[in-house]
Amino acid sequence: MFENHVIRHLSAYHHGEIPPDEAIRIEAHLRTCARCRSANDQVQWGARLASALSVSKAPADMWIGVNRAHPVSSRRRWRVVLASTAVAAALLFVIFIRSHAPAGSSWEVTGVPGMPRLRPGEMLQTGSTSEAQIKIANIGQLTIDRNTRIRLLVTEPDQHRIALDRGRVEATTWAPPRLFIVETPSATAVDLGCKYALEVEDDGSSLLHVTLGLVALERGSRETIVPAGAFCRTRAGTGPGTPFFEDSSTRLQSALEQVDSLTEGPERTRQLQVVLGESRVRDALSLWHLLPRLDMQSRGLIYDRLAQLLPAPPDVTRDGIIALDPKMLDAWKKIVSQLWQ
Amino acid sequence: MTKHTIDDGTIEACQRGDSEAFRLVFEAYKDRVYSIGLCFFDGNEAAAKDIIQEVFLKLMTTISQFQNRSEFSTWLYRLVTNACLDRKRAFRRFLFFTDSRELELPDPRRSAEDRYIQREIEHSVRKVIAGMKPKLRMAVLLKYFEDLSYDEMAAALACSKGTVASRLNRAHRILARKLGHLRGALAAGE
Repeated sequence: MFENHVIRHLSAYHHGEIPPDEAIRIEAHLRTCARCRSANDQVQWGARLASALSVSKAPADMWIGVNRAHPVSSRRRWRVVLASTAVAAALLFVIFIRSHAPAGSSWEVTGVPGMPRLRPGEMLQTGSTSEAQIKIANIGQLTIDRNTRIRLLVTEPDQHRIALDRGRVEATTWAPPRLFIVETPSATAVDLGCKYALEVEDDGSSLLHVTLGLVALERGSRETIVPAGAFCRTRAGTGPGTPFFEDSSTRLQSALEQVDSLTEGPERTRQLQVVLGESRVRDALSLWHLLPRLDMQSRGLIYDRLAQLLPAPPDVTRDGIIALDPKMLDAWKKIVSQLWQ
Repeated sequence: MTKHTIDDGTIEACQRGDSEAFRLVFEAYKDRVYSIGLCFFDGNEAAAKDIIQEVFLKLMTTISQFQNRSEFSTWLYRLVTNACLDRKRAFRRFLFFTDSRELELPDPRRSAEDRYIQREIEHSVRKVIAGMKPKLRMAVLLKYFEDLSYDEMAAALACSKGTVASRLNRAHRILARKLGHLRGALAAGE
């Protein structure tokens, strides 16, 4: 692991976060490598500078503000929302299916006349001109766009799950990862702590756009990680597609869609070459997700481009990556995944 | 650096809605949350106050969800991270020019000259940190204001331990590169 330079481990080494045997190897390397010694000197100096930071005292009256805001702000907010939604009442309709869910385990709803709460087993549908707001237990907020249908499946302390049958929702959560889950016809979106918009088309396909944090799209054994600033399409029957950053070139996005939808053959290879040619370092996100999903010949092409953008660690070989060697994939992923972490 | 710990009894009291317990939690963490907000927003006092308010309001409304899945402070700093990054996105077109130096607490054991040097160094450090990418900035602030372990930081920042190490590595080297000229001053201030 430390046969070559140890620069990337130096802060962890400085903070005592390296296991003892590896720390010994780093020490040995530092004795013989002037380049790493110089980097180590920089890290030590940077850490010493950062240690100069001192705590500033918060203003004395902050508690009063926080304590007051807690009970008052929520009442006011809901009052305003309820008042404004009364105007839109005529434009919104609700399909309301009661289940045998226990009372109390429900979410607060605004914007839907006659439906102050949504319980497990119930469905909510908005009309063509109105939206609804839902408080996801105490972990976040959901905005239901026009012409959208959702169902609340589960709301428990360790999991909150809805089905998005069609339409668009925007979710903001501030809970630990994997607490809030959205099922769509083509994939399941698992919240890893974030803000995102998810839209489901009539044919069951969907488009996810993450604006903060991370979302995992899952279907069977296929998983796609979508970081902030990225999109991902999913298709009924095939599940999550390949994620791409919103600032990727339009040629890349278009070719990527073709690669995702075509079967193995010359046309898919041609489209893959467009993707590879258009890729910047950030687009390693897309290439990394494509790697295990395509045939061996395509993997070789992806390896060649990815290695130019984000060089593989010394022990990672082209043949190993083409064969999807788990250890090599893990080693390289540590570098590539910095794009989305 | 002293680490604050809140015992299970206090958290349970918060979950029952005990406002005195909330106050204990607030008092234990307010200065550090404020310091992180202040440094993250380059000395903008109003932004730091908003961060305190937002974080503790979220804490009050969501503490019933807390189930010891992770240390309380990790969870709290996740709220802080999200609040800072959210706010930065919302106000990314604004520039902050407020000077935070007047808020720093002097250490009475140091001479006036030492304190002056220390203050100038800290000011320079804050300026460089404020110019870093938000993810690097937050990693430095969590490490040096709260002394979280890499595991705790990984949980708070929703990333891997390796990523934490990498971010701190980059941040340290940026500081060293930009403030190399202060080596003599820091030695003189000690």
